[in-house]
Amino acid sequence: MFPWVYGFEWHAGYLIFLGVFFTVAVVVVSTVMLALFRTFRDFRQGRAAQLQWASNFHDLPPQHRACRHALTGELEGRVCEQNFDCRECTMHASLLAKQSSAPACCQESEIFGMPVPLDRYYHRGHTWVQAAEDGSLLIGLDELARRVIGKPDSLTLPAPGTTLVANSPALSLSRNGSEVRILSPVDGAVTAVADPGEDWLLRVKPAGNFSPRHLLSGLEVKAWYLRELERLQLSMGLPEGAPSLADGGVLVEDVASVCPKSQWDTACGDLFLNA
Amino acid sequence: MTRTDKASPAAHYAMIIDLDRCEGCGDCVVACALENNVPPPNPKATPRTGLNWLRVFRLEAAGRDVFLPMPCMQCGEETPCQSVCPQKAVELDPATGIVGQIPERCLGCRYCMAACPYQARVFNWWDPQWPAGMEQTLNPNVSVRQRGTVEKCNFCHGRWHAAIEKAAAAGGRGPVAYTPACSEACPAQAITFGDLNNSEFAALTNKPESFRLLDSLGTGPKVFYKTASTAVRAAVTGAAKDTPHA
Amino acid sequence: MHSTHLIARGACRAPLPRFLMWIAPWVALFALGAYAMFLCLSQGLFHTNMDNRYAFGLWIFLDLTVIALGAGAFFTGFLLYVLHKKELKAVINSAVVIGLTCYSGAMVVLAVDVGQPLRAWFTYYHPNVHSMLTEVTFCITCYLVVLAIEYVPMLLKNRRLKLVPSFLVFEWELHKLMVVFALIGTLLSFFHQGSLGGLFGVLRGRPFAFREGLAIWPSTFFLFVLSAMAVGPSFVALTTWMVEKLARRPLVKPEVYDTLGRISGKLLLGYVFLKTVDTLLWINQTAPDRGFAAHRFYQHSAFGTWILFAEIALFGLLPAFILFQPKLRQRRGFLILAAVMACAGVTLNRFVLTIQTMALPTLPFDRFLSYWPSWQEFAAFGAIAAYAVLVYSFSYRYLTLFPQEREIALAEERS
Repeated sequence: MFPWVYGFEWHAGYLIFLGVFFTVAVVVVSTVMLALFRTFRDFRQGRAAQLQWASNFHDLPPQHRACRHALTGELEGRVCEQNFDCRECTMHASLLAKQSSAPACCQESEIFGMPVPLDRYYHRGHTWVQAAEDGSLLIGLDELARRVIGKPDSLTLPAPGTTLVANSPALSLSRNGSEVRILSPVDGAVTAVADPGEDWLLRVKPAGNFSPRHLLSGLEVKAWYLRELERLQLSMGLPEGAPSLADGGVLVEDVASVCPKSQWDTACGDLFLNA
Repeated sequence: MTRTDKASPAAHYAMIIDLDRCEGCGDCVVACALENNVPPPNPKATPRTGLNWLRVFRLEAAGRDVFLPMPCMQCGEETPCQSVCPQKAVELDPATGIVGQIPERCLGCRYCMAACPYQARVFNWWDPQWPAGMEQTLNPNVSVRQRGTVEKCNFCHGRWHAAIEKAAAAGGRGPVAYTPACSEACPAQAITFGDLNNSEFAALTNKPESFRLLDSLGTGPKVFYKTASTAVRAAVTGAAKDTPHA
Repeated sequence: MHSTHLIARGACRAPLPRFLMWIAPWVALFALGAYAMFLCLSQGLFHTNMDNRYAFGLWIFLDLTVIALGAGAFFTGFLLYVLHKKELKAVINSAVVIGLTCYSGAMVVLAVDVGQPLRAWFTYYHPNVHSMLTEVTFCITCYLVVLAIEYVPMLLKNRRLKLVPSFLVFEWELHKLMVVFALIGTLLSFFHQGSLGGLFGVLRGRPFAFREGLAIWPSTFFLFVLSAMAVGPSFVALTTWMVEKLARRPLVKPEVYDTLGRISGKLLLGYVFLKTVDTLLWINQTAPDRGFAAHRFYQHSAFGTWILFAEIALFGLLPAFILFQPKLRQRRGFLILAAVMACAGVTLNRFVLTIQTMALPTLPFDRFLSYWPSWQEFAAFGAIAAYAVLVYSFSYRYLTLFPQEREIALAEERS
């Protein structure tokens, strides 16, 4: 194997054979090392959270990756390719440019008996963001999330000072023995957590200028909500002929208490984008 | 290592076995086993799992029993077993033309056994065992093999080694003459051993009654057989139609 | 924590007691085989029915077979990462697990099969590069490492493990480099699949197996590569179908089967053609040149010419034809039947080269020999089969082997 080992031959065949072997060994080892090195670099450069989300997003079935413009019917059947981060999306930018002006609507909306206030932005992971007067952002769970989760057995909020990255887990809660991670809607640093009883959960100081471009607002919220209710029904695997929202039913107050554990776990994964 | 720089001019040891003389007494087999530290067969061994460096086939031809002693043929051209060994446990010694099996290096993969057309190779299916006291009779010039390794005839390499050391002590260089145990033991003198570089001996192998087994495979075996009977020759080489059983 | 936490969200898996009932017999078989292996390793290979004449037996035959069937791992990876056949993403994970179990199982059996397994490192340290077995040893061990690396991303995506941030990021980075492993895997597989064929093709002392070829490689080298590539996708389709039947749910979209069948069919057709040419050359030239009329090989009752017909026509041409016809392969029953036949054909080919080569006499006065494996040989291989089933079952339960599973389930509910 080496020139100093018995049996080594200075023959072309022998050298080619060992040359190929050592090349393969070096390529395999260095590729693994490269992946390890890149992993460390990602952490050092603070890109780890984004990549985690990218990896998770990648694993979502296409039905759960619908583009926001597919929800409103602008782009039929389009699947998001930007990990739900419209800030970089050229398609989103071009569609925004076409719209004359964003319709201003701040009235309360109600969808199937659920209050959905339109004075705020919504994240695809069922959190809302509301700008406070002091420039900070309030983050809370929306009504659908509240009804699906009900009263969590435990709630783990990030400590003030924690840096949040959009689409990476901000807080986690558990119910029925399942852990659910709620994704952060924005980039920023946690400045305060809510006392029990408040409707918001986190107060966040945005990183740089807050851009809500990747968040849902206005009319598209309703289209999204309708799609989410449909997704919820599908992921809970409701049998055919069961009473459904389309028949005029309303979502119960505490889904977790009326739904088998495994179905609830699946539904939470789908709804909160925990693949 | 079987190579030795003491023997600079190469020898090509070969064997001629006279089928008309062999009577199948089996003395060669016993002498071979004693010389080469082949252990007694395990009680459970069958003819197919036993250890024999030299086997004697029996077949019927020309109205008589023909006995066919078969050692390793020491193939000299594209030696089938040597090229297949993954870890150089088989070596063709250019100084002697002997195909050596180095049991200490053998993995026991048995690829060489599959490659050998003469079934000259045997495997240690059991741990070798000698009855109490019999280990005193072991030949110190020949290493004992382990379970799980392949072994075979090497033209009594231990004897060659002893001969060359003796010659070297006397200041001699070059190929030496020696006699393997089977040849020495044969009461009918059916086994002749010699060096193909010796023209007198080589002439014996070129006689019309001399032939080799499976010559057409092109492996250059160095064990020759001879018989005056064409019927016997046909039976042994497969030219005859009705080939009786061993 | 509850065990369901290891199972991916939305993946419907049997309750734990039923899963345990499923694996129990396999664990028992594995234990029996492990005992047989222990007997062989601790006392010697006399526990097998191999002998000096039948130096290779059941183990070598089945090793060759599972390695051919496991070729789906490298070939699917090649098709997906190098030729960008995107639809095969649906089965790549499953193919990698199959490959990993086939190769690691074969390695274990080989370690029992050799008489002195502790000397295996000699082959690496003092290699004889002229031996096909050396090439096989090097390539298979390297490829096993590659397969293990390819398995790592799957493992790190387990529901529990992926919660560790560094695992998921490493998985992401490793996955981006997967094309390197796909290429290395292809290179290694090409050579060891070929060398496994070369193993027998170079046996100049065994005219039944010996073949002429190209440079240092006998024709069996190329035929083995091609047949493994042809049957690999078939085996992936077959295993996917079996898992679907056992799990009672669809796991991949129909076009995945179609792609696998189409590729398998085309390659099988090419293989059958070349195998026929090779056989004719061997009958008319190679064997006679070495002093053996080919009909002599087939005069032993058990191994008549029917075996040639079965290998080339029945289990080669026929499945190739079925898989080649879009209308036929679109019917799942036909596709699976053809896949089974293709796998049987390659199994028979490996059987012929190992067992029949050993059985046929070379010396004119010698006779045809038969051999029946001992219970230890069957059990040891049974252990490997059980091991493969266990690894696959655990992987299917706790990892995502079929990424389309959830998508299909959701689409089915919708309709």
